Amino acid sequence: MRTPIRWIALGVALALVAFGVVLAVQHRNEPSVPRLVQEHATAPAFTVTTLDGKKLSSATLRGKTYVVNFFNSWCIPCQQETPALKAFYAEHRNEADFAMVGVVHDDEAGTIRAYMSAQQIPWPVGFDPNGAAALAYGTTGQPETYVIAPDGVTVCGTLGASTQAELDLWLQAARRGQECT
Amino acid sequence: MTRAKWPWIALGALVIVMVVVLVVRSRPSNSPAARADRLERQLACPVCEGQSVADSNSFEARGMRDEIPQFIARGMTDAQIRAYYVARYGDKMQEIPANSGLGLVVWFVPAIALVLGLGGIALLLRRWSRQPRLAATPADEDVVRHAREDRGDRS
Repeated sequence: MRTPIRWIALGVALALVAFGVVLAVQHRNEPSVPRLVQEHATAPAFTVTTLDGKKLSSATLRGKTYVVNFFNSWCIPCQQETPALKAFYAEHRNEADFAMVGVVHDDEAGTIRAYMSAQQIPWPVGFDPNGAAALAYGTTGQPETYVIAPDGVTVCGTLGASTQAELDLWLQAARRGQECT
Repeated sequence: MTRAKWPWIALGALVIVMVVVLVVRSRPSNSPAARADRLERQLACPVCEGQSVADSNSFEARGMRDEIPQFIARGMTDAQIRAYYVARYGDKMQEIPANSGLGLVVWFVPAIALVLGLGGIALLLRRWSRQPRLAATPADEDVVRHAREDRGDRS
């Protein structure tokens, strides 16, 4: 009787040690591709309020290829990404089927107003004070950028700062109805 | 069945009765506020480690605390609200099990396992402490007997 108990105890101890080792060495793989993009999901509808108090609804963007960028003033990667976004927007702003919207994620109105003025951001930006748009997109931080095809499918995007080259590629892919590579 | 097993059977029966009573008696309130509160405690904050929506002060958790009462007011069931967030953030949203109904089992099983484990260790220690570290073999006893015979000790 004594021996089986010892073997059981040894087995339990080994199982616990193995469990601890697995926990200790496992790495959490943080995906860089947003969930909506991975699932090719339809972009959620949202309505945000612009700096001058007007409502900006995703419904007005239907039929266009549009970019949604979640950002704020205190996030360093957002600040680093801004020149790329500005160059990308300047390149495409006159294209009839193109639109770009910034959605403020976790920031104050006064701060973001000053930030936009300092950065000279030309694309429309909306406040999302209760996080409804962010929650609908399933954001986990900022910046997060999504490219939505004319049929409403979230085709491309990234968690973290994007580059102009990436944005160009994603825009072309969305227009052609292709997946991002 | 030996008498020694009766205390264990009684303990097991007591645990089962306690779990059943707790599961049956824990009928949560279904008021909108209670439902919102319960959901906020059950849903994991999507951008935190080990915090519920109720506990976190993150932007996403604050947004969910605003949003959940609105969903309830619109007539969504708890399951639909959970499914909504799972669809957006994945299964990690359901890391915190319910603290009522069958969800109680998840909370009680570790405690019961801990008590049983400690009891088992105590029993083993007691058994091992009663056993002599070295037991005389027949050969040892022969040696002692021969030594005594050589000394003329016949006791």
